[in-house]
Amino acid sequence: MIDRALTLVAKCKALFVQRRSEDAFDEEIGMHLEMLKEKLEHEGMSAQQATRAARRQFGNTTLLQQRQRESRTTMFFANVGRDLRYGVRQLAKTPVFTAVCVLTLALGVGANTAVFSVMHAVLLKMLPVQNASHLFYVHTTGWPDGASQTGQGATSFAYPFYRALREQSGLQDVMAFIPMSASGKAPVRVGTVPEEAAGDMVSGNYFSGLGVGTVLGRGFLQKDEDDHTAVVVISESFWATHFGRSRDVLGKTLYIKSVPFTIVGVAARGFEGTEGRLPLEFWIPLQSRPEFNAWGSPVKRGTYLTRQNFWCMKLMVRTAAGLSRGQALAMAQGIFERAAYIGVAPKRAGDKPNELSFNEAKQFDAQDDSFARALKLLMAMVGLVLLIAISNVVMLLTARNAGRQREFSVRLALGAGRKELARQLLTESVLLVTLGGIVAWGFALGATRALGSWAQIHSNLQPDGAVLGFTLTVLLLLALMFGLAPLRSAMSSGPEMVLRNSATASQASSHKVRAGNVVIVTQIAMCLVLLVGAGLLLGTLRNLLKTPLGQKPEGLLVFGIHSERAHGKEESIAFFVALQQRLRTIPGVESVSMVDNRPGSGWSSNNSGLLVDGHKPNGIEPEQAGYRGNIVGADYFRTMGIQILQGRDFSDADSASATKVLIVNETFAKKYVGTLNAVGHVMSDPKGVDQDIIVGVIADHKYTSITEEAMPMLWTVFTQGGAVSQENVEMRVQGDPLAMLPTVRKVVAQIDPDIPLLEPMTQSAVFADSISQQALFARLAGCFGVLAVVLIATGLYGTLAYRVSKRTAEIGVRMALGAQRPQMVWMVLRGSLLLCAAGVLAGVPLAMAAGKVLESSLYGMKSLDLTSYLSAIAGVGVVALLASAVPAGRAASIDPLSALRAD
Amino acid sequence: MATDKSEVLQGTLDLMILKTLQALGPLHGFGIARRLEQLSEDVLTLNEGTVYTSLLRLQQKNWIAGEWGVSENNRRARFYSITRRGLKQLAVETENWERIAAVIGRVLALEAKA
Repeated sequence: MIDRALTLVAKCKALFVQRRSEDAFDEEIGMHLEMLKEKLEHEGMSAQQATRAARRQFGNTTLLQQRQRESRTTMFFANVGRDLRYGVRQLAKTPVFTAVCVLTLALGVGANTAVFSVMHAVLLKMLPVQNASHLFYVHTTGWPDGASQTGQGATSFAYPFYRALREQSGLQDVMAFIPMSASGKAPVRVGTVPEEAAGDMVSGNYFSGLGVGTVLGRGFLQKDEDDHTAVVVISESFWATHFGRSRDVLGKTLYIKSVPFTIVGVAARGFEGTEGRLPLEFWIPLQSRPEFNAWGSPVKRGTYLTRQNFWCMKLMVRTAAGLSRGQALAMAQGIFERAAYIGVAPKRAGDKPNELSFNEAKQFDAQDDSFARALKLLMAMVGLVLLIAISNVVMLLTARNAGRQREFSVRLALGAGRKELARQLLTESVLLVTLGGIVAWGFALGATRALGSWAQIHSNLQPDGAVLGFTLTVLLLLALMFGLAPLRSAMSSGPEMVLRNSATASQASSHKVRAGNVVIVTQIAMCLVLLVGAGLLLGTLRNLLKTPLGQKPEGLLVFGIHSERAHGKEESIAFFVALQQRLRTIPGVESVSMVDNRPGSGWSSNNSGLLVDGHKPNGIEPEQAGYRGNIVGADYFRTMGIQILQGRDFSDADSASATKVLIVNETFAKKYVGTLNAVGHVMSDPKGVDQDIIVGVIADHKYTSITEEAMPMLWTVFTQGGAVSQENVEMRVQGDPLAMLPTVRKVVAQIDPDIPLLEPMTQSAVFADSISQQALFARLAGCFGVLAVVLIATGLYGTLAYRVSKRTAEIGVRMALGAQRPQMVWMVLRGSLLLCAAGVLAGVPLAMAAGKVLESSLYGMKSLDLTSYLSAIAGVGVVALLASAVPAGRAASIDPLSALRAD
Repeated sequence: MATDKSEVLQGTLDLMILKTLQALGPLHGFGIARRLEQLSEDVLTLNEGTVYTSLLRLQQKNWIAGEWGVSENNRRARFYSITRRGLKQLAVETENWERIAAVIGRVLALEAKA
C-alpha cells in the first residue's frame, strides 16, 4: 500500500518536473527572440519587421522544443505507455485469443506454482529455528528384538537411549518430543467447551535447543522436565484463536486431559512444532502422571519413563560448532549400540546392527519418501502441462503475428525501426504474461489450499517469497520468449511486403508449416504420456476403491473417548461398559462396540510368540509365530459387519470374571491351528500362561489399510484386559452416521461434561483417508490429463483453423475446378490425423518410460495396461478429430466465388 | 551573397561554443549567438536556434552546466558555463581541429605549388 502511494507521488512529481522544464525552455527561447528583436529595432527596423526577422534568424522553434522533449529520458516511458495502450487495444480487438492465452498461461503457471509451493514447503523449507544447519532429526534403521515401538519405527527411541545420548554424546543439545496421542491431539479446555488440540510433551531444552524464541513469556527449563511441572507453552495461532492475542494470557489455565496447566509462554510466530503435517498448538514438559503416558497409551507395565523397552520418543540433536555431522553421528552410533539393549535381551552375535542417521531439520521430517516421490512426479506432470501451455501460446502468437505481417510491413514502410517493432511485441507479451500471471497467482492460492487439504497437511503451505520468486522467474522467461519468438517472422516481413499480393504473401512457407507440425506432434506425444499416466493412476484408484474390505463401513460412526476421571482397571472398564450400555439405548442405534485401533487408521499392535493347546503352533517355532492383535468390545464383529465363519462374537457375558476368550481370523486358524475349525482350542504365550480359549473364527478382512495382505490376527475383549484409558466407539446407526453426532454429544455430556468426542467421523471416511494420498495423486493426475487435453485441443483447433483460413483461396480454386466438399473435408482431416498418428508413435515409448517410474505407485495395475494405452490413444484421436472437424466443416462450406473474390 | 557567406561546418559549433564559454565565462544563449556573430564578422550564417540544439547536446554530455540568472538588462536568463569535463573535451577537440586544419592547409599548399 505504501509502495503504491510512493509510486504515485513519484509519477506526479515526474509529470510536474517535466512540465516545468518544458516551460523553462520555452521561456529561454522567448527571451532570446525578445532580445534579438530589440537588437534589430536598435538597428532601425520597425517592431513588426524586427519580430519577423528575429523569427527568421532563429529558425524552427517547434522542432527545437520537440528535440528538447525527446532528449529527456521520460521519452522512453512515454513510448512504452503508447505501446501499452496500443497493446491493450490489440488484445481487446481479439478477445477470444486473449482469453485463451491468459487462461492457458494461468492454468499452466498456476498449477506449477501450486505444486511447487507444496513441494517447497514439504521438501525444502527448513524449520523456522536458529541455525537450522546444525539441527538434525534422529532416525534409526531398526530396533532390537523385544522393543515395543509406536508404528513410526524410524523415529522411535526409548527413554534410556535419550538419557544416554544426552549425557555421553558431547552433542550440544538433544531434544526429545512425544505426541500426546496416536492422532497427535489431546482433549483440552480453555473455558467451558471441551475440544481437541495438537500438542507434544517435550524435553526441558526443547525451545532453547531448537533455537525458537517466544512472543510472550518463556520457553521451558531443564527444571520443568526434571520436576514434570504443569506448565504449558501455546502456539501463536492458538494464542490468537483462543485468547485474542491478549497479553495477560500468561498465568491462565489450560486444562489438558482435565489436568490444569499454567500458560507460561507463547511460542514464536510461525513455529508449529516438528511434526510436519500437524501444526502443534501447545507444548508441555515431559510428564510422569499415568494419563500422560507416551502417545496416550494405557499404562500396562509402566509409563515411558519406567518401561525401558518402550520406544516412543522422537529425538532431534544440535551439533556443537566445530563438530561435523559425521563425527557427531559416529559418537551417537556408539552410544546407540550400547543403550539400545537396555531393558531388552542383550545383543546376540550375528544380529544386524541398527544404524542411526541424522536428517536435516526440514519442516517435514521425511519419514518415508513416498510422499516426496509423488510430489516430484506431480511436479514433472505440471511441468509437462506448462510446456504444452507454452507451446500453445507460442503457436497462437505466431499465427496471430503472421496474420499481422501486413501491419508490420506497413509500419516498416512508414518508417518504424526494427527496434520499435521489437519493443512493441515485447510490450504486448509482457501485457499478456502479466494478465496470465495475476490470474495464475489467484488460481495457485486456491489450488495450494486444495492440495493441502487433500493431502491432509494442515501446516501452512501458502506460497511464500521463494515461491513468488519462482513464479516471477517463470513469468519473466515466458514474457521474453513470447516477445522474441514471433519477432523473427515479424522482421522478415520487409516494407515491400505490403505491395505484394496478399494471397501469395499469406501462403505460409513450407519451413514454417514443418516447424508447426513438430510442435503439434510433440504436444500430442506429451498429451498421450499424461493421459496414460492419468489412466494408470485412476485405474489404481478404482482398484483401491473397489477392493473388498470384508466388512461394512457404511452406516458406521466412529469417535474416540478418553476416560478422564476413571482410574485403575476396574473403574475404567466399568466406565466403558456403562458408556456402551448407555449408547445402545439411543433411538436409531442398531449396535455399539469398542475398538482400540480403528480399522483403516493404519494402527495395529504387532506381537509374536504363542502356543496352541500347549504345543508349537502347527509346527512353527513359538517365537517365530507373529500375529497382529486388537482389543475390542462386545458385539464387535456384528457391528462392523464382518462375517463370522465359526463360533460366536464377543458378548456382554465375556466379563472379567468369565473364561478368557479370543477370536481369530481364518488366516490365523489355518496357519497356527491348521484348520478352520479352531473353536475350542486354547492359545497361550510361549510360557504357557495367559491362556485364552478361541470362541470364534471370522473371515479375513482389511484392518490397517486397503492395500494390506491378510495376516494372522486375533482379537480379545477389553472387559477381560487391563486398564483402558481411551477407546474408539463404533456405532452402527440408521441413516447418515454424522447426523447422530449431536445426540451422542448430549449423551456423553450427561456422563461427563469434560469429555470431547475425539476425531468423530464415519468409518467409511477412515478407510477413505487411508488411501487419501493415492487418491489425491490419481485425481490430480486425472485433472492434469484433462487440462493437457483441453490445452492441446485449443492449440490444435487454433492452428488448424488458422491453416484452413490461410488456404481459403486454394480451396476456392480447387472447388471451382470441381473438387467435392467431402474431398475438402478429408483433405483437412487427413492432415490432422497424420499429425496425430505421428504424435502417438512418438508418445508411446515416452509413456512406457513414464509408466516405469509410476510402477511403485500402482495398485492392481501393470504399467503396460492395455486399456490405459488404448483409451489414451482414443482420447488423443478424438481431440484431433474434434479440433479439425470445425475448420474442416468451414473449409467445406466455402463458396468458391466469394473465396476467390476476397483476394 | 552566397559566395561571401558560408555554413557552419558540421560538428564545429559545439567546439566554438565551448571555446566561447571558456574564454568569456558564463553567457546566455543570446550572448553566445551575438559573440559568434561578431567573431565571424558576418561570414557565417547562423540559424540561432541551432545554438540551443548544441547547448542541449553539450548539457547532456555534462560538458556545460546551465543556471538561471539575471541578464545585463534585467531579464531572467539561463547562463551557461563550461564544466571541468567540458574543459578537458575542449582541449582534446582543439587539438583535433588544429591537426585536421594543418593537414588540410598542407594539402591546399601542395595544390598551389602544382
